[in-house]
Amino acid sequence: MANPLSNMKTDFFEITTEPIDIGTIARRVVPPECGATVTLDGYVRQYTNGRETLYLEYEGYEPMALKEMQKLIEQAKAEFEVSNIGIVHRLGRLEIGETSVVISVAAPHRKAAFAACEWLIRELKRTVPIWKKEVYTGGEEWVDGDTGASTQDFFPTK
Amino acid sequence: MNVQVLFFGATADIAGRRRNEINLPSETIAKTVYDQILTEHPQLASHKLHFSVNQEFATGDEILKDGDELAIFTAVSGG
Repeated sequence: MANPLSNMKTDFFEITTEPIDIGTIARRVVPPECGATVTLDGYVRQYTNGRETLYLEYEGYEPMALKEMQKLIEQAKAEFEVSNIGIVHRLGRLEIGETSVVISVAAPHRKAAFAACEWLIRELKRTVPIWKKEVYTGGEEWVDGDTGASTQDFFPTK
Repeated sequence: MNVQVLFFGATADIAGRRRNEINLPSETIAKTVYDQILTEHPQLASHKLHFSVNQEFATGDEILKDGDELAIFTAVSGG
């Protein structure tokens, strides 16, 4: 059996409309000097604040989303003792329980990998231009994040 | 000069379109375009918004060039 650590792996960031296999992503980030990979599997929640979601539709501003994902990887690698990072976000219609985002962080030691993974998902939800529309019985709505500028902030003279 | 303005998600629903080409005098700053769009679609102001120029978050002070790609979108909600 081939040594799964035998190839030097690199960072990657991708957007897909296909189902995401988290095991494959987790293995793609692993270089030989690492001892731990922390992988976040973000998936579609059935109940939000007591309301049942039927499915989600994700939309992205793809070229900008990819640029922002690349910046997050660069910042995380400058900030944390981690070796490789992979981020994959899915767009389109996702059913309950399907994976929408995977972040895998490989590090020589686990502590930095946990910290970097937490930082990456927090920043991704703040800066990467992707939106979800929640479809529920009797309606649908785009979910607003809570980190944009208000128009008053952007146009302070108004 | 001409610039493209892109809309996504909630802002596309409000604007009723996903893309708009706008003709502007040269040296126009980004804020002028966003002001114009907010005047045209006042419902946008009920959202927290982000603005971008050429796929980078914008402050509004950017001096636009022919062919620039602007976008207006609500606070992101991926993940």
